[in-house]
Amino acid sequence: MNIVVAIKHVPSTADELEINDEGVNLDFDEVDFTINEFDEQAIEQAVLVKEASGGEVTVIGVDVIEELDGVLHTALAKGADKAAKIVGDLEPPIDSHTQARWLADAIGGLTPDLVLTGVQAVDDLDGQIGPMLAAYLDLPYVGVVTGLSVSDGTATVHKEYAGGVMAEFEVNLPAVVGVQAAEKPPRYAPISKIRQMAKSADLEEYEADENVGDSGCEIRKMAKPVSAGHAEMLEGDAEEVAEKIIEILEERGLL
Amino acid sequence: MLTSIERVLFILMALALGGLAGAGFYGIYRIVRSGRSAPPRQNVLSNLIRAAIDVLLQKPMFRSRPVLSTFHAFIFFGFSFYFLVNVTDVLEGFIPGFELVYGGQNSSISLPAGLVNLFNLTADILSVLTLLGMIVFLVRRFLAHDRRLKFNDGVLLNPKVAKGWIGYDSLIVGVFILLHVGSRFLGQALRLAEYGQSDPFMPFASLTANLFTGLSEGGFTAAIHTTWWLALGLILLFLPYFVRSKHIHLMIAPINIGLGKQTPRGELDPATPPAAHTNGDEPADDEDPGARVLQDLSWPRMLDAYACIMCNRCNDVCPAHSQGLVLSPAAVEVNKRYLINEDFTALAFKGDRIDKPLTDVISPEAVWACTTCYACVRVCPVGNEPMADIVDIRRRMIIEGDELDSGIQTALESLAKNGNWFGKGSRGRSRWTKGLEFKVKDVTKEEAEYLWFVGDTASFDARVTPITQTVARVLKRAGVDFGILGRLERNSGNDVRRVGEEGLFEQLAEDNAAALGKGQFQKIVTTDPHSLNALRNEYGPFVESQWPVLHYTNLLLDLFQSGKLNVTHPLSHYRVTYHDPCYLGRYNGEFSAPRQLLELMGVELTEMPRNCENSYCCGAGGGQIWLGSTPAGERPAENRIREALATLAPPSNGDGNVIEPDDGQLLFVVTCPKDVIMYTDAVKTTGNEGKIEVRDMIQLVEEAIGGAMPEPEPETQSGGEA
Repeated sequence: MNIVVAIKHVPSTADELEINDEGVNLDFDEVDFTINEFDEQAIEQAVLVKEASGGEVTVIGVDVIEELDGVLHTALAKGADKAAKIVGDLEPPIDSHTQARWLADAIGGLTPDLVLTGVQAVDDLDGQIGPMLAAYLDLPYVGVVTGLSVSDGTATVHKEYAGGVMAEFEVNLPAVVGVQAAEKPPRYAPISKIRQMAKSADLEEYEADENVGDSGCEIRKMAKPVSAGHAEMLEGDAEEVAEKIIEILEERGLL
Repeated sequence: MLTSIERVLFILMALALGGLAGAGFYGIYRIVRSGRSAPPRQNVLSNLIRAAIDVLLQKPMFRSRPVLSTFHAFIFFGFSFYFLVNVTDVLEGFIPGFELVYGGQNSSISLPAGLVNLFNLTADILSVLTLLGMIVFLVRRFLAHDRRLKFNDGVLLNPKVAKGWIGYDSLIVGVFILLHVGSRFLGQALRLAEYGQSDPFMPFASLTANLFTGLSEGGFTAAIHTTWWLALGLILLFLPYFVRSKHIHLMIAPINIGLGKQTPRGELDPATPPAAHTNGDEPADDEDPGARVLQDLSWPRMLDAYACIMCNRCNDVCPAHSQGLVLSPAAVEVNKRYLINEDFTALAFKGDRIDKPLTDVISPEAVWACTTCYACVRVCPVGNEPMADIVDIRRRMIIEGDELDSGIQTALESLAKNGNWFGKGSRGRSRWTKGLEFKVKDVTKEEAEYLWFVGDTASFDARVTPITQTVARVLKRAGVDFGILGRLERNSGNDVRRVGEEGLFEQLAEDNAAALGKGQFQKIVTTDPHSLNALRNEYGPFVESQWPVLHYTNLLLDLFQSGKLNVTHPLSHYRVTYHDPCYLGRYNGEFSAPRQLLELMGVELTEMPRNCENSYCCGAGGGQIWLGSTPAGERPAENRIREALATLAPPSNGDGNVIEPDDGQLLFVVTCPKDVIMYTDAVKTTGNEGKIEVRDMIQLVEEAIGGAMPEPEPETQSGGEA
């Protein structure tokens, strides 16, 4: 069983985000990058499947800012067997259409039985990597998955719908699955293991094909949200505050 | 005195049982040696001598429970002197006519009467004191059912311990001591009764002799022989049991103290045994960090198990046990001991290993309840370090990917990613300086006398950053030349290491060491005791030169003493108590600067019962502040706030704390950023808002010097030059 996890390196929201001078994207010199949190779920799910049914997990991503090694070493420390990165003379931002094309080119050569990826990423929130991978690889796709098991060439996946409705799908392998959440929270990777991986692991490299087209979309404007108003603090003791609340509710015709 | 048959019997018994006991001791030696190596012990002989002196003076005992320790001292002095008594008793048995009563005047061998009288008097008094002490202990355990000898519900106990074997063992040891000492005492009383006259140097025996005046000559002979055998034959019988009983603490405890930790309290032993390091820092492949099974522990931890007498003093001071949680430091040692004894022969003589996991010694839940406050280690009279076991167990759990508390995992991931546990980017680390009226130097760019290592909590926590700013203003006003590392600073790794994430600790220490290496400064100062501990005690392997690391209270005291800060507004309107942070006080011995500061500022300081070395943990250390869930029970910080209120405003008539408005504001003074959070919270959750207020020392200093910034008072303007 050959499991491939496609991941994305995205701007970290740990720090305040800065907009570039043109006002069309982030100021990428001022942001740190981190693994997309849904991809962390996908890696965990891949390792869980491997632990349950055997197989080999390969993690692959586009090395947008030449700092992906740490992410890949972490994935290896968590139980992935191989890691690869797509390299080139790259600069952020690289839209998900382009990333999906490059990933599909590399993954196609790996003859996967199962491709997992995060259902979406915080950078463009378009949720396109999974479906496009499936399209380029000509494989079925199931997204927003919260659990997955594999037997006899099929995967049983769980999806959660609004209102707490659960559905179970069977999908023939190979397939692409967009993971919303792994069955268990992602495990912790001890730093000494990550460092061991950094010393010993070989990361395979794929050259990015610069001649693929982009998404056709252009960001016209990016700005920080402007606060539209302020909360009104109700002063006074409990009685007075309660009275004011009732007043406001009546004023707006809610009572 | 003894018949020939008795002599032969005694010698045969001594050989057989002594041999058995000797084999037992050798077995213990082998078992202890089967543990992993530990940092080498220096000056072993002088340390053993020092330990022996401390034990002779019973100093380690009196760290707590003074009354019980006094009774223990009775038994200890009695039992120690009985080594000598037993020798003379054997001589009485084997040398015809040799006897010590009446100063030895009737003895077949001439003896110095003065010396013999002194000996008799000492033995007489100590016999009675030993019996008294032993009776008190037995009554305490079996009639009074002292709660402190029990464990919390849910504490993992070896099945035998759970069935009450500690009680059986205690009963056997207690009865043995009563019989051994009692019989010897009666034996001497019988001799006096046989002569029919009292000995002024044996007052208690003389008094007791009155009981036997009517006895026939044959009766005396039989009784003297019986008591001799009960005193000395019993000790031979007891010898092999001794090896397996808790009573062996009397031999192992002094050795354990003498061979105790020699590195600073604040420096954990390495995660992989020192011998496993092939070239200084690269561990050999076969040695995993930390401990999973018993013999993954280092040899001092094995010795601990034999030193433990199961007194539970550690439980008394453990914040987790006091909260009713399932952690008991005592149970760690007791369980280890019972686990070893289950396979004693195989371990000692066949060189087997115990592959039973340490989850038989302590439950994972208990492992994660430890605040690493060091109180258990500090209070232990026999030099045990149950906390070290716990850290080693955590280390292996982390490296082998055992399930982690979600809060701890989130904190560690943030620390690995961002260098802080607040989930904030490193750029935000010096954001607190933006609120200041002046620019704080970056020591990686400009030279400064002091590097201020700010730490995570003081840098990021919105409840603490105003205090951090006050520290900066006061230092500025005093003309202190200081700077920070800015975004290059990382969490010191102190608590990361105590959570068991050794690799992350190393990464953080290396990053900080690199940043420190770029800085131009002479000394390090910090408000954070946790950072202070790591920088002072654990950065040796990472930095090229070790800088002096000061706590801000030391620096402030220095500034007052050198006149750079002056008390213009004495704070006599406050009644305060002071809380010693674990990592400042107990770990690093810094008790006096905060107290001197308070005195200088004119506040009325009242000490809580638990102060200085015996301070009570706030419950935040060792990663506890990161826990995703709050365990039930009164939290340590809440307990502490109640202690503070009981100290500052004792309940006058039993219905709550009565505080007179004229008495002045009650303050709970802290000198640790984590304490600000923990205790401010605890004041709220205990419903004591308005009664007592938590203040950082710097807030008092700010008030005492009439404001932190130079402007307010014209005459102090010169103090604002920087």
